[in-house]
Amino acid sequence: MRTRKKLLRTTLALAIGSVLLWPQPGSAMEAADAPETVEINSLSRLYSGVDFNHAMHTEIATCVQCHHHTTGGEVTDPNCIRCHAKSGESDTVSCQECHSSDRFSKEDLSKRDNPALYHIDKPGLKGAYHLNCVTCHQKTGGPTGCQDCHTMTEAGEKMFQTGKYAPTETTGGEHSGH
Amino acid sequence: MKTTVSRRTFIKGGLAGTVAATVLPEKKSQAATFEGYPDGMGVLVDLTRCVGCRSCEAACNEEQKLPQPEKPFDDFSVFDEMHHGQKRRTDETRYTIVNRYDVPGLDHPLFRKIQCNHCQEPACLTSCFVNAYTKTPEGAVIYNPKVCVGCRTCMIACPFYIPTFKYSSAFNPRIMKCIFCYDTRLKEGRPPACVEACPQEALTFGKRNKLIEIGRQRIRETPDKYEDHIYGEHEVGGTAWMYLSSVPFDQVGFDTHVPKEPILNYVKDFLGIVPMVLTIWPALFAGFHLLATRKDWLKNKNEDTHEEE
Amino acid sequence: MRFFSHQRPEIPIVDHIKSDGTEWTIKEKLWLGLSASDYFKQFFRNPVNWLMIGIFAVGVPLILQRYIYGLAAVTHASNDYPWGLFLGFGLFGMVPLSASGFMLGTTCELFGRKDFHPIERLALLNGLLGYFFAVLFLEVDLGMPWRLPYPMFVSLGPAAVLFLVAWHVATYLSVQIAEVLPAFFEWIGWLKGKRVIRKMVLGLTIAGIILSTLHQGALGALFTYAPSKVHPLWLSANFQWIHFFCSSIFAGLSMVIVSSTLIRNFAGWRCDDTFKNSLDDITIKLGKGCSLAMITYLVIKIVAIAHDQEWAYLLTGWGSYYLLELGVGVVLPMFMFATAVRNNSATLARAAAWITVFGIIWNRLNTSMITYNWQLYPEIPHWKEVWITVTIYSLYFLTYRFIIYRLPIVYNWKGKK
Repeated sequence: MRTRKKLLRTTLALAIGSVLLWPQPGSAMEAADAPETVEINSLSRLYSGVDFNHAMHTEIATCVQCHHHTTGGEVTDPNCIRCHAKSGESDTVSCQECHSSDRFSKEDLSKRDNPALYHIDKPGLKGAYHLNCVTCHQKTGGPTGCQDCHTMTEAGEKMFQTGKYAPTETTGGEHSGH
Repeated sequence: MKTTVSRRTFIKGGLAGTVAATVLPEKKSQAATFEGYPDGMGVLVDLTRCVGCRSCEAACNEEQKLPQPEKPFDDFSVFDEMHHGQKRRTDETRYTIVNRYDVPGLDHPLFRKIQCNHCQEPACLTSCFVNAYTKTPEGAVIYNPKVCVGCRTCMIACPFYIPTFKYSSAFNPRIMKCIFCYDTRLKEGRPPACVEACPQEALTFGKRNKLIEIGRQRIRETPDKYEDHIYGEHEVGGTAWMYLSSVPFDQVGFDTHVPKEPILNYVKDFLGIVPMVLTIWPALFAGFHLLATRKDWLKNKNEDTHEEE
Repeated sequence: MRFFSHQRPEIPIVDHIKSDGTEWTIKEKLWLGLSASDYFKQFFRNPVNWLMIGIFAVGVPLILQRYIYGLAAVTHASNDYPWGLFLGFGLFGMVPLSASGFMLGTTCELFGRKDFHPIERLALLNGLLGYFFAVLFLEVDLGMPWRLPYPMFVSLGPAAVLFLVAWHVATYLSVQIAEVLPAFFEWIGWLKGKRVIRKMVLGLTIAGIILSTLHQGALGALFTYAPSKVHPLWLSANFQWIHFFCSSIFAGLSMVIVSSTLIRNFAGWRCDDTFKNSLDDITIKLGKGCSLAMITYLVIKIVAIAHDQEWAYLLTGWGSYYLLELGVGVVLPMFMFATAVRNNSATLARAAAWITVFGIIWNRLNTSMITYNWQLYPEIPHWKEVWITVTIYSLYFLTYRFIIYRLPIVYNWKGKK
């Protein structure tokens, strides 16, 4: 299982690649400044990465919906307004800057032990992606199946015991109905 | 940490003593209830996040080296399976299960993951007469197949119907249940395989105390989204695995009638009389004997004295 | 004495010495003084034995199947219903019916009631065999029967109720063996052993009361581990152990009445006149004890419902079933016993005892199987499970009969005592 963790870490390439940021004091970031597509592949063990069409999504969603307060847009969530009403644009809008890719590691957990910390419940990187995407897709009728966004890798097929690893009639595990 | 486990040790001591028919000195001064190990870990399951992808089931099967399933883990027809009018449950081939619930008035189904809840004061553990179960300081309830006799009282005692038995085996049966990935992960401070596999972070791993804080925060900040209850915070004296739901818990298959105190509390009435019976009965019945046979004794005595005369 | 020849007045054996002055050997005693061919002739003449052969012919292969292919092959034991008939009937039913040992031990030895003496040994034997076969049932049910001594010596979990049951049943079993041994010693003619036991009798009897109170109660307390599974009417956390203990009193007494009735009717040749002549009187006295224990039990049952505020349940379907169980299993025989005492009718007391025995088994099955998981689904035992249960019970019957035919249980030994 050690190798698995290593894998996770080593595949932690930058999810959002060469995004050039031009801080513009006093005004929010423009969607047009963002890249056309973003490859999200930092955690691609069981599933391959996602070629995320960022340009398309900027047409149907506001920046704040995914990037929260970091793009400097107007924050509407009453829970966020308490602190981020005027926090302005952040230095970076990359998901993994804030969302830990080693969620639930000892380090991650001990950081959250800080009693002064408000964001004790900030999802990890994988959680952040999925919670953001899937929740919105469910509401707007976007694709929600796992393989609608990313195809399963061989490692995935092995773990899910599907595809060429699917159980056959004869090898199917015994189920004690009684 | 020693003092926090006092009640269980107290009762153990008390009963061990009574079996040996000796009276132990009282140890009343210590805490009356066991509130769990302070640094025990847990998992908060958020039903509003679960999408029923069954990744946790697949990861568990791989991690625990369980037998191959009947259907692949990406086959969602399993949600329609029913046995005896019941949805799927844990068994000797699977430590965790996700079930789908179509809640009336809700436009989407809800999914609920079942596994061992790793109680703070586990009924399986307290009912086991060979000490096969252990609640580790890390929070897991683990099982030792080497001493298990196969009486299955733990299965009777578990309010969540979690322990399962390998009925199919005659020579090597054992209890099969989720052990929080204790041997391979939790011991080293790592989250269990299911938590790591969950894409939605529907499973949040952390110190139990912290998880209650997190759960409270979610309820407080999005009150429209959640029932104002963390299932497992107080159920059967508290569990390491806890649940948040958007609908009343009984609508998604939870037993909301389980007691809010440890199962052991129900057994204590009986355990309490054991030392009493052991100490009072002998004197009481010896006394009865002397009273009941007094006439005979007097008669014998008189006869003896008459004979002497 | 249907199968004993008139030419041989010395059988049934009641003495060490034959009429010609020589001693019976143990082997001859075992064969009831008959030749092997005579013995089998009478054995096969008895239709009950043919029934037994039929039961065993199917039952023994089923038991083998259980030990080779596991419990799944012969039972409907499941993850929802871990306990089936083996425990529901074999343990929870057999143990209260075997409370007779300590009840009559107490009456005769402790309270000095010599009038019960003729039935004391039968009560002790009934107790011993009931417990022994309860353990045998357990051995069929346990997943790893070869680990039976684990809770005693290997890995101790002393905080568990079952730990108490294990230790107490084990020690009580030894107490009962000691209590029945004098009959055996008389029969083999080893009087020294008998004298040793005789000295311990008061201690053994008191130990018997303690152990019985606790493990009869403990069997009830086992269900307090499942407060959310057993129907509330059949489970009272506070009173469960008293319910089980109190009902074991009339269960044990009724079982002795039933067993003495059977012996008097079907093995009359084995009973001596003391036994036969005092049996009606003793039966009525036992019936009086039963009716008193039953009224106590009823009161505690009602107190438990009041205490747990369960009146509303009585109006449900389960409530009717509960009232039916109490009505048929307890109230009816209670009145029958009371009437029997008033009218001095042993026949009526015997009928009541049969109903009581049925009622107690019904109650234990209700608690352990029928109302268990009342909110889930009902489980019906596998036919093989039923057959194995009947097979073990038949073995119990045969052992019981084997001993009654030989040892001085329902007759007094004529030789040196």
